[in-house]
Amino acid sequence: MDIFLSRLFAGTTSGAVYVLIALCLVMVFRSSSTINFAQGEFALFTSYVTWWLAGKGVNIWLAVVPAILIGFLMGALAERWLVRPVRKRDETAVLIVGLALFTGLNGLSGWIWGSDEKPFPRMLPTGEDTYIDIAGARLHYDTILIVAIMAAVVAGLTLFFNKTSIGLQMRAVATNPDSAALCGVRVGRVLTLSWGMSAAVGALAGPLLVPLVPPGQLGLSSMFPVLIFATAAALLGGLDSIKGAVVGGLALGIGLAMVNGYVTFLGGSMSLTSALVVIVAVLLVKPTGLFGARRLERV
Amino acid sequence: MKLPVIVERGTTPYRAILAAVVAAGVLAALWGSGLEPFEQGQVTRFMIYAVAIAGLNVATGYVGLLSVGHSAFLGMGAFTTGILVVHQGWEPWATIPAAFGVCLVAGLLVGLPALRIKGLYLAMVTLAFAVAFPELVARFDGLTGGSSGMNIPRLSMRPPEWSGFTLGEKDQWLYWLGVVVLALTLYVTHCLTRSRYGLAMAAVRENEIAASSSGINIAVVKTLMFGLSGGITGAAGALFAIYMGTLFAEGSFTLMAGITLLIGLVIGGERTIFGPIIGAACVVYIPYYTSSIGQGQGSAVLFAVILLLVIFLAPSGIAGALGSLVNRFVVVRAARPRTAPPSRTGPAVSSAEPERGPVLAP
Amino acid sequence: MSAVLEARDLVAGYGGLTVLREVSVSVDPSEVVVVLGANGAGKSTLLSALSGQLPLTGGQLLVDGTPVRNARPDVMLAKGVSLVPQGRGTLTGLSVMDNLRLGAVTRKDKAEVGTDIDRWFTVFPRLAERRDQVAGTLSGGEQQMLAVARAMMSRPRLLLCDEISLGLAPVVVQELFVTLAEVNRELGTALLLVEQNAELALEIASRVYLLEVGEVGASGSAESFRDDNSIRAAYLGY
Repeated sequence: MDIFLSRLFAGTTSGAVYVLIALCLVMVFRSSSTINFAQGEFALFTSYVTWWLAGKGVNIWLAVVPAILIGFLMGALAERWLVRPVRKRDETAVLIVGLALFTGLNGLSGWIWGSDEKPFPRMLPTGEDTYIDIAGARLHYDTILIVAIMAAVVAGLTLFFNKTSIGLQMRAVATNPDSAALCGVRVGRVLTLSWGMSAAVGALAGPLLVPLVPPGQLGLSSMFPVLIFATAAALLGGLDSIKGAVVGGLALGIGLAMVNGYVTFLGGSMSLTSALVVIVAVLLVKPTGLFGARRLERV
Repeated sequence: MKLPVIVERGTTPYRAILAAVVAAGVLAALWGSGLEPFEQGQVTRFMIYAVAIAGLNVATGYVGLLSVGHSAFLGMGAFTTGILVVHQGWEPWATIPAAFGVCLVAGLLVGLPALRIKGLYLAMVTLAFAVAFPELVARFDGLTGGSSGMNIPRLSMRPPEWSGFTLGEKDQWLYWLGVVVLALTLYVTHCLTRSRYGLAMAAVRENEIAASSSGINIAVVKTLMFGLSGGITGAAGALFAIYMGTLFAEGSFTLMAGITLLIGLVIGGERTIFGPIIGAACVVYIPYYTSSIGQGQGSAVLFAVILLLVIFLAPSGIAGALGSLVNRFVVVRAARPRTAPPSRTGPAVSSAEPERGPVLAP
Repeated sequence: MSAVLEARDLVAGYGGLTVLREVSVSVDPSEVVVVLGANGAGKSTLLSALSGQLPLTGGQLLVDGTPVRNARPDVMLAKGVSLVPQGRGTLTGLSVMDNLRLGAVTRKDKAEVGTDIDRWFTVFPRLAERRDQVAGTLSGGEQQMLAVARAMMSRPRLLLCDEISLGLAPVVVQELFVTLAEVNRELGTALLLVEQNAELALEIASRVYLLEVGEVGASGSAESFRDDNSIRAAYLGY
């Protein structure tokens, strides 16, 4: 029982991480019907900003704030100046811009801060007694924190989309950009804002997830696996659904923890391959995911 | 003289141009064989990448199947060579066709989902494939050496006796191996894209529905070409294994390697013969000459800038841009049909009809 | 008094294809104008251009006699020109309420938006019953009502309607036209109707433009068009 609970807690922790980045992918996809391949690298760059500020003695909770602002600007500018001009051309062009952002941000992070792994300060202290004991399993404070922040982000986004005018406009653009434009929605601004918000959420998620994702340090490849898991989560739930991102992320996190724990053939380290299988399976069997409404492919 | 000069395929001027290109290639190869060992090593590395990118060009360029994950084929080819040499005692050069075969099959398997998954989603799948590949290598550590890497002993890399090279001239031997594989790859892709199959590939890329309604079997084209693409990149992987001697999946065959191949292809020029060569030169030499900039990360940033420049200014890559520059002076095109002028193909066909008539009504 | 909207020598099209060749039309305040023409004459293209959806390649749009630079849908809406597009004029994924709210996005007086929504719910009681329903699940007639109400939420001075009767039952069409006439009478909103159903449109219109392959072929009072047998035979088919 306690082993099961431990795995459940561990799965929930990584699940919450996947949810946060999956939300970023969903926000971009809802507005502009595309996947931002550089989503992970946006979060990487802003995580370095947080790390750097924390190293200068800024409290880590405060250090996240400028990182979020930088994230927002990066996302917004990338959409406005790089993605939008090529959107009408074809998907390959969007992908190439995504890859350019990917390499560019990854390289820039290494250029500024070096390619060695950085020990990352924790947002909550960890030690011998920073957990709650539940039936012999340890529920760490980190887990509680990341789940709480995930819940807060989801609640905030839900309120934002349903109660504010700009949220309404975003939903309108997600359904049909042309009709939304006829209602007077400035579609371009909405797209820019979506990309900005998406990168801002990523910037918040980065410092939370870096200590939780092996090896627990910040390195140039920290976000590769996170992007894959988040993509699997977002696809599983449906790329245009917030609810889907939550369910998909948690299901994937807990599912992988259980599979790696109980299916010994996989050697306990086949998470990425499992995520790959999930991605392929969803795309082949139910491309809209569990809660998605839109078909992914344009004929 | 009026520009551009039009050269028709099959005519003497066309053959002269072909001969000049081939001669330039031969001269370049001879020049490379006389280089200092280090520089020659760089050239060998460049040729390996050119083969790998030419492989990617088949799937991503000609058929339009976006792949970020060709690093996995490169790795698979390399480990095929490693395993066959270390565990089975094969001669290294003989593993090249084997690596091609293994990766061909793997490519066919990866190509199957591509029948239903398109565009960015396929790119996502290949990206996941690239990220998962090192994990798979680690899982089968008994064969691959796992995270500690796989070492191919120097002695087993001895060039075959018939080649005339000694163990000390291993690098020369590898260089010429690279020249042969690259030449073969370029020749095969050239012929392939000029054939009716090339037309089918273009049709599938531009408009699947129209392609299938004109009788092209999309499933076969896509799967087969993805297989061939993986196979060629796998052959490059085999050369890579011989070149490196030590194989680390975590180091050489990561997502970044896959992205590098795609960057090379886009910068060089998709759907061109020379694109992979130019692209390979970029991905091998730019990091080398910029290694002192930005803690070794300068090249990544530079690639990002070049990629953006290419996508905004020269969507067909450097080779494409050079191509259209050359086309201002010389245009090569298919020979005109000699029997009848194009406007009269109708009557020509109908005049052929009566001859078939008696066969139908004996 | 200058026209609410005047188009001078509009040239517009798609890609290399020019659909409108120097088309000039104008609508005065509180006027009802109908544009008639065969399929492919460029009627929908004209409305797209007037609403700022389609960029112009030539000519000018003037609102209240002032040239509009940079005509985009949001700019035209802010100037009081609203379009009910052909076919699905609603955001099918959003609820009825959200559609109406979205119609008021360009308005500054947020406080009065609620009042307006209530007004349109009184005009179209069936929408009120379905206020939380997703627009895509409404019947064709209800969707068209919603499209009109949504377009009216921006409190336009000119409403452009593209084939509002298309695919609807005659009873529903009749109902919609009665409402449009009321809107024009009570709110003073000018109407520019593009219609296949010429008979019905001519009943409420005061002026007519005939569009022929991208050019204005004829124009005049609705009365003269109703009475002119040759025009009826040639263009209206009855």
